[in-house]
Amino acid sequence: MTPTGWGRGPRHARFQRFLAVAAIGAAVALPVVLISVGGGVSDHELHALENAGYQIVVSASGLHGITGAHDLTNRILGVPGVSFASPVLSIAIDAFNTSDSVSPILAEGVIPSQFTATLGPTETGLFPDPLPLGDPNDSTHFANGSYRGTPTYDVVVSAPYADQYQISVGQSIVLAPDDNLSAGVRFNVTGTFGPPFSFLQPTAAYAVLLPLSDLQVLTGYGNGSGTIVPDAADSIEVAVAGSVGGNPAALDRVAAAIQALVPSYSVSTLSQEAQQLESASAVLTGFYLALSSVGIVVGVIFLTLVLLRRVEAERRSIGIRRALGISGRSIAAGIVGDGAVLAGAGALSGVVGGYVLVTVLANHASSTVEEAARLAVFAPATLAEIVAGIVVLSLAASAVATRSALRIQVAEALR
Amino acid sequence: MNAAPAPAVELSDVSRVYSPGSADEVRALRGVSLRIDGGEFVSVEGPSGCGKTTLLNLLGLLDAPTSGELLWDGRPVGARSDRERARLRLERVGFIFQRFYLLPTMTARENVELPMRALGVPRAERLRRASDLLSEVGLSGRERSFPHQLSGGEEQRVAIARALANRPGLLLADEPTGELDSGNTRGILDLLTRVRAGRGATLLLVTHNPTVSARASRHLAMEDGRIVADRRGA
Repeated sequence: MTPTGWGRGPRHARFQRFLAVAAIGAAVALPVVLISVGGGVSDHELHALENAGYQIVVSASGLHGITGAHDLTNRILGVPGVSFASPVLSIAIDAFNTSDSVSPILAEGVIPSQFTATLGPTETGLFPDPLPLGDPNDSTHFANGSYRGTPTYDVVVSAPYADQYQISVGQSIVLAPDDNLSAGVRFNVTGTFGPPFSFLQPTAAYAVLLPLSDLQVLTGYGNGSGTIVPDAADSIEVAVAGSVGGNPAALDRVAAAIQALVPSYSVSTLSQEAQQLESASAVLTGFYLALSSVGIVVGVIFLTLVLLRRVEAERRSIGIRRALGISGRSIAAGIVGDGAVLAGAGALSGVVGGYVLVTVLANHASSTVEEAARLAVFAPATLAEIVAGIVVLSLAASAVATRSALRIQVAEALR
Repeated sequence: MNAAPAPAVELSDVSRVYSPGSADEVRALRGVSLRIDGGEFVSVEGPSGCGKTTLLNLLGLLDAPTSGELLWDGRPVGARSDRERARLRLERVGFIFQRFYLLPTMTARENVELPMRALGVPRAERLRRASDLLSEVGLSGRERSFPHQLSGGEEQRVAIARALANRPGLLLADEPTGELDSGNTRGILDLLTRVRAGRGATLLLVTHNPTVSARASRHLAMEDGRIVADRRGA
């Protein structure tokens, strides 16, 4: 209770106050969930970047936009300071397992030795080393761009896929660019990789790794007539020597040297990627706040109405206080304090509600939502800013109610 | 804290018009001039709507005159700011209303404490004085009762204790016994007479009841916004 008695009320008034707290709580819970989950996912991705086994990424616009991937990889490997360069081509294809049932699957074409060398510390344990894909340099089949050598027809499959279809090493599956079995090619399963599926991990649940040239030929991205993008890849991940990796200026020089090789492609260091990710995260956070502001505005309007209703209901009490000589400032302080308490209680309940909601989502939602919710980060400073912001906004609501209270004519209120 | 001295209050050709110039215009007071010395016990009588409550509100600084001048101890106060008038009311005026106007969400003691809280009286002092005042008006042991737990007479006693909380020099009572039976009326009048005499305060009491006005030492009669009689003597 305030010194002048503002703040107590009958049951219906208490119910209105409860509703105001609930409205603000609901309005605050939304940004708490969005910002904590969004921030958590962003942090996770930043962490993944920081722990990657490569430092520079070459990419091109368009679908599988890098052409001449084998040749370009060799040229990049010739840049001083570069240790490894791993081209990656990712394409969704179809797999026919031992019982000839078909399922879509993500195929990644790689140069085995380069791929293994550019894995980060959190990924290395997921893949066999060396990758059992026959030709470690993928040069026999590619044969100077002619694809005249012998394909390995080796494939490494993801553990979830192998488990689902009871596929073991030594068996074979047919991979095809679409669900036409006659267009498929039989591959020998030489190993498995990966943990259980996580949409935030770099691999999909059903995935296969195979030599880059094998996948290019299988999907029509090798050389030859009808090929839209010859010797295609999506990106080339470049690892540099340790002395270069720890020196930003040297890393920039290596990136510039690679950029000179491929002026029409994008060449970025992971720190640049991280900055872009952080910028995107900041934009998303702003968007979340803008989205949440709608709910918050509604909550503050509700609070204003409750305070105004309260002033109207306590018109006589306010008149009595004024008649006794209690100053308008003191009455205003009571209303402002009441508004701040309601807003603060609402904001805190929203924070708690948001936390509970994220916890529930992390355990009982769909797998994708669960994964995201488990990454949620509840930053105390951010949550404190949200609570403080709501309390500040409550001042606007209180100002409206205070103005109304101070315009009450004492003599009229006591009639 | 010492009792505030009873002010000499004076109205000089005071008028109060509500909604001037409109179809709803009400001329509640018409050129009233009046002086009340400190320590007087004055009754104001007259029919409903004659301006008694308006006169009380002006004297107690709840309202401001449309024209004319209101003086306290020879100094004009009618045109002071709301804040200054509120401070004067808090320190020097005690109001007693016909309908008691206790705050329903506060106990008897909290109601009595309220003006002292607003004045910044320390808690220990507030509690002691609230207890003393409730004892003085015959409500020992009812400190924690809420207004709805009290009889009409008890509510008015709490209201009187509240009016006395900051030891005002001017007590303004608007039909203080209007909602009480004869037994309670007598008790409240005895109480008001006693506390006024004990404190040397000015008491201005609006009433329709001749029994009540008979206790006063000066009698004002009002009609149609004017004072039509001013008689001294019991």
